[in-house]
Amino acid sequence: MALAGDTFIIHFNFIPNRATRITGGMTMKDRYQRQTLVRALGKNGQDLLETKHAVIIGGGGLGSNSANLMVRLGVGSIDIIDFDTVDVTNLHRTAVFSEEDIGKSKALTLQQRLQQVNTNVRIKGTNQKVTVENIKDLVSHADVIIDGTDTVPLRVLINEVSIQNNIPWVYAGVYETVGMVMGILPKHTPCFQCITQSIPESKTNGIPVLGSLPATIASIQCNEAIKILLGRQPKGLIIYDVWNQCFDTLDIQRNPHCPTCGKK
Amino acid sequence: MKVYGRYKNITGKQTVQLDITDGNTLRDVIDVFVKHYPDTEKDKSRMIVTKNKMITSYNTTITEEDEITIAPPVVSGG
Repeated sequence: MALAGDTFIIHFNFIPNRATRITGGMTMKDRYQRQTLVRALGKNGQDLLETKHAVIIGGGGLGSNSANLMVRLGVGSIDIIDFDTVDVTNLHRTAVFSEEDIGKSKALTLQQRLQQVNTNVRIKGTNQKVTVENIKDLVSHADVIIDGTDTVPLRVLINEVSIQNNIPWVYAGVYETVGMVMGILPKHTPCFQCITQSIPESKTNGIPVLGSLPATIASIQCNEAIKILLGRQPKGLIIYDVWNQCFDTLDIQRNPHCPTCGKK
Repeated sequence: MKVYGRYKNITGKQTVQLDITDGNTLRDVIDVFVKHYPDTEKDKSRMIVTKNKMITSYNTTITEEDEITIAPPVVSGG
């Protein structure tokens, strides 16, 4: 019987390989059994996902939830990039992190924890700030970029690299009880600049966010990302106000005069 | 004019009618909208306003035939 003050430290270092049998004659590969039954995906879709590479920029409220989902969904290779460390104020809205992670690198902690969730996925955490100088190298092999950032300028930078290098990305943002998501397919859909031409620089600290909102919005974001990876074209700006139960898709067309993606 | 997000709750409608005349700008549309629905005031400088499904400058002029939509500002937290 455990007494108050007793400390038990149990280390689990076992990471099974792909073929490891678990229970009932199933293997780790059978983890996708229910997902492959989804008609929109199927076995072919699942196999295709396993060949894809996603880069998640930001490992906070949106990024940690998206990383968790993309790993479980079985996207073959995932990079998670964040220069920041886990802070106590992150815990109410992030996935995966616990109190013992405070002060640790978000990117490296996500890599470590999520690799234990799914050994079929190659996960690489990069503890680095994304800048104008390094972003191209960081995303050059991506099939999709997932936005887990919290500033407009960084999203504008992702957008520019996306358009210049023909890499799809999925914008997501949250504020109070409102979230927005937009899948961006260069040359086919409006880009982030198309919807932000009058938006000033945003503040990054102290943004009010309902704890459950990033998980909700990250789920929608990952749905859009998966559809893009499987060849579907995203449509419009999704706006979800969870408090007022308003779910809308704003139909927006490309702006021919957009300074980033405009038809020149 | 179609409204989106919490503007549906504020206006109580999916579509609102505003008195706008040919030659007015999208900025004029915002001004009239905010005047009718003061709870939207804080979004005034950042609302997403589309003209014929396209986001253009607030200085763009409109005509009676144009399809206008208005939505809350882009959110940027993460």
